[in-house]
Amino acid sequence: MRTIASREGPRPYNYRHFRLRHFLAEGLATYRAEGVPPGALAPDFELPDTDDTKWRLSDYRGRPVLLHFGSYT
Amino acid sequence: MKKLHALWGDVVEFVTVLVRQGHPGPDAERYRTFPHKAADAAAHQREDDVPWTILVDDVDGRVHRRYGMLADPTYLIDDDGRVAFYNAVTHAPTLHRAIDELMSRGGRGIVLGGYDRRPHALAAFAGGWPALRRGLPRSVIDLETSLPGSGVLPLVGYQLRGILRPVALRGQPLPFRARAGLVAAGVALAATAWKMRDRRRRGHRVALGR
Repeated sequence: MRTIASREGPRPYNYRHFRLRHFLAEGLATYRAEGVPPGALAPDFELPDTDDTKWRLSDYRGRPVLLHFGSYT
Repeated sequence: MKKLHALWGDVVEFVTVLVRQGHPGPDAERYRTFPHKAADAAAHQREDDVPWTILVDDVDGRVHRRYGMLADPTYLIDDDGRVAFYNAVTHAPTLHRAIDELMSRGGRGIVLGGYDRRPHALAAFAGGWPALRRGLPRSVIDLETSLPGSGVLPLVGYQLRGILRPVALRGQPLPFRARAGLVAAGVALAATAWKMRDRRRRGHRVALGR
């Protein structure tokens, strides 16, 4: 089982509390549209789906992909 | 998004990458292990009846970080694997227009200027509660202590979802007539409020004998 507890700093990616700084960081990153700019090649990745089947972005060349990022909470 | 999927799901591949807990709580703690995150992805698919693929990012959010680490963004990727449109805060009607334009261009190129970075708070107000509810009570307490109102407003929006749904949770842009109607209703409301204020002022003056 993989754990990240040993690598958590004072501002971990997986925070325990949502704070004002998360709000502000989100607002700033939205304003700056941080991420992959239009026209750039979308970085390829491979991740498992909910049935543990591998899904690779580059397998979908030739068909548009709507790539959404979302949270359970 | 489901409405958008119903419209475009047969020509566009829809996929959600599950990221960190946005608003953790006692029954939805932050992720420390991959199985915990994978279980939440499966629960999300089941509980919210998501008809498209949900992928599980690793615990450190490797893919999420690479794509900008925002809370709720959507990328439209064209046939060549390039970003055609970046919707920083997911907004289905805007994505509908983006897909429509991409299709009319043969599935390639940048559409709608490439970006939409507007905050689109109305959708979060009307549709954010089911996710927030999973982290109760901490999710709402954390929001209220960081920005008062931001934790409770989604609950109000959830109660009003029947009224708000046609405007806030739609899959396509509002037709011109509906938009014109909303603007007219807004102007009429403002004018009525102004008149009432004016009448009350005059009433005060009469009462005071001025």
